[in-house]
Amino acid sequence: MASLFTKIQLTASLVSRPATALLQKQGANQARAFSAIQAPVSKPEGRTKCTLIPGDGVGPELLYSVQEVFKAAGVPVDFEPKFFSEVQPLMSVSLEDVAESISHNGICLKGSLATPDYSHSGDLQSLSMKLRRKLDLYANVVHVKSLPGVRARHNNVDMIIIREATEGEYSSLEHESVPGVVECLKIITAEKSHRIAKFAFDYATKFGRKKVTAVHKANIMKLGDGLFLRCCREIAALYPKIKFEEMIVDNTTMQLVSKPTQFDVMVMPNLYGDIIDNLASGIIGGAGVVAGASYSGNCVVFEMGSSHTFSEAVGKNVANPTAMLLSSCNMLNHVGLEYYGNMIQSAVERVLKVGKIRTKDIGGHSSTNEFTLAVINNLRH
Amino acid sequence: MSTSLLLRTLSGPLRNFGHLKAGSVWTITREAHNKSKSPLAQYGGRFTVTMLPGDGIGPEMMNYVKEVFRYAGVPVDFEEIHFDPNSESEVDFFDAITSIKRNGVAIKGNIETRENRPGQISRNVELRNELDLFAYIMNCKSFPGIQTRHKDIDIVLIRQNTEGEYAMLEHENVPGVVESLKIVTRANSERLARYAFDLAQKQGRKKVTTVHKANIMKVSDGLFLETCTAVAKEYPNIEHNNMIIDNCCMQMVAKPQQFDVMIMTNLYGNIVSNLACGLIGGPGLLSGRNMGPQYAVFEPGTRNTGKSIAGKNIANPIAMLNASVDLLDHLGLDYHAQLVGSAINKTVNEDCVWTPDLRGQATSIDVVQNVIRNIQEQTKTKNWGGPRMGR
Repeated sequence: MASLFTKIQLTASLVSRPATALLQKQGANQARAFSAIQAPVSKPEGRTKCTLIPGDGVGPELLYSVQEVFKAAGVPVDFEPKFFSEVQPLMSVSLEDVAESISHNGICLKGSLATPDYSHSGDLQSLSMKLRRKLDLYANVVHVKSLPGVRARHNNVDMIIIREATEGEYSSLEHESVPGVVECLKIITAEKSHRIAKFAFDYATKFGRKKVTAVHKANIMKLGDGLFLRCCREIAALYPKIKFEEMIVDNTTMQLVSKPTQFDVMVMPNLYGDIIDNLASGIIGGAGVVAGASYSGNCVVFEMGSSHTFSEAVGKNVANPTAMLLSSCNMLNHVGLEYYGNMIQSAVERVLKVGKIRTKDIGGHSSTNEFTLAVINNLRH
Repeated sequence: MSTSLLLRTLSGPLRNFGHLKAGSVWTITREAHNKSKSPLAQYGGRFTVTMLPGDGIGPEMMNYVKEVFRYAGVPVDFEEIHFDPNSESEVDFFDAITSIKRNGVAIKGNIETRENRPGQISRNVELRNELDLFAYIMNCKSFPGIQTRHKDIDIVLIRQNTEGEYAMLEHENVPGVVESLKIVTRANSERLARYAFDLAQKQGRKKVTTVHKANIMKVSDGLFLETCTAVAKEYPNIEHNNMIIDNCCMQMVAKPQQFDVMIMTNLYGNIVSNLACGLIGGPGLLSGRNMGPQYAVFEPGTRNTGKSIAGKNIANPIAMLNASVDLLDHLGLDYHAQLVGSAINKTVNEDCVWTPDLRGQATSIDVVQNVIRNIQEQTKTKNWGGPRMGR
């Protein structure tokens, strides 16, 4: 039936072309009434608003690159920039301001935020953790996929790493009971474990994935990780078509570096996710090429797969904008602008595949600007 | 003006009082959702919704819905479940049910039951029972653009959806004597009545009419009537009366404007809802909602497969599109519900693009394209994504 629909659209467009040419003389309004719908589906006339957090380190440079590409591609997105930073507290807008903007727009593009070694206010939470809590961005998704033309130790890696991002080891509950003894609390709740497991399975269903692997350390933390694992098993029962596996975190890291192609979708608590995100990014070419996103029920923050600010490269024009560009493509796909998302993604892939323009981190000598220009030159409407 | 738009206008003034959405018709179900253990599949403002295309015209209608949603930029992804009506296997069917349990919401065409064999349970009925979708709600509101015998009809029809005559308990005691059991329970009658009165109160409606046949079925329909009357006492500001089904049918075709909210058992609801569709302009316009404490399923109002007109490009897509507007309303995507809803109403009432069932000349695709054109017209000035305020 879908084919019938497009077929009829096509025939309608063939018929209407001479007809519209005729009618244009009589008046634009009439011509409009007769012309068939020919615009590509996701090229709507309205515009979409997106919050933009430049972040620290090379973040602003990377997002400048994204904006240049968007401008060249004519993407109907308006950015709402919010400067948000923990290391430059005087220039930063408030947390409430940023949260309000993101929850209103529903989408945000964010550079990595630097976390200072000590806090001015004595808080144990970093600013990006506060933002996550505030917006309840509980699911962090990193899609680790081998890119053509990026040489790495493993090929054909394609896995999705889903990490619970609001509890676990990141509870920021630490205290010194007696001098010299510090307790750090790791919190696991059934509610949040169910939620992340359901997210993982729904994500797998939506993208046609076959297997979900729960990563845990329930052999040691029998109660905490045990609860997480039990919740995953309960949710898995609702998805008879998706295979469910369990793997202990230490074994997972070994398997990842030796046979990464065996993984499909992975779901895990907070700290394991942090480590495995970075490990997996390393397998396919480093922090510069892996995109990530954080989901809540109502909004998404699109960011880099691994959160390095790369502050030593600020102003040197050497950072790789690939990750940020791919992340912005995911953002476009999320709001239904697939036409532009696919256009930019294939331009990036074309540049990487040809391999003439490469930044330093993937073995080339080109600058950020050169890479951005190469992507713009490869945009095919 | 479509049914759901009407709801919106009625609830408009109340809605502005902040996040509680006191005026929303679906507050009841939303609260139920929050309580229930299966939340919606809502991530980053996008929803996953189960789609059961069903048989007959169902699959083509679903394609129109997808087409319209794409142009309207609706943040909904469909998980499509197809199953072969001719297969004996129940695997796909139970897959469909678990899918609805996962996503919380579904849109469906009608599923054909293979043959009238005893023991062959209608899958539509089974699905409603399995998901405990106890209430069926149809908003019967006249379309001002369509010429019909009666004008200004505005009825909310609420039907018991899981028991009564549809209990499917039939047997032949001795050859030539068949007993069919009709089941009425106080628990189900009570929650249906409560649902109806709550809905009447939220929408600011004045009167609830219970339809029954308690003069003949004194015990079963008697229980239903008695329960409704008891519940009505808790809502003193809403008028309650009752009417016998045969008289009700006569009144419906003679003076339908007298009805406001109607509540009835399963079979009567089936008959009266089809009758109401006929009054308003046929089976191709209205949509119905199947509501339960945890799940919601949306479908065209008359629940027919339309097999005879399948694939001919003449079926009226408005009913399924209205069902999709109900779906958006339920998900709390008010902006998109309004966008699609007004595009549909403009198509029917102002542009008068009608399929043959409304004595028009247009094909199904003409109607859909007109709806899409109206949507594009609106997205020119507005932010396409709309304010992405979830629930």
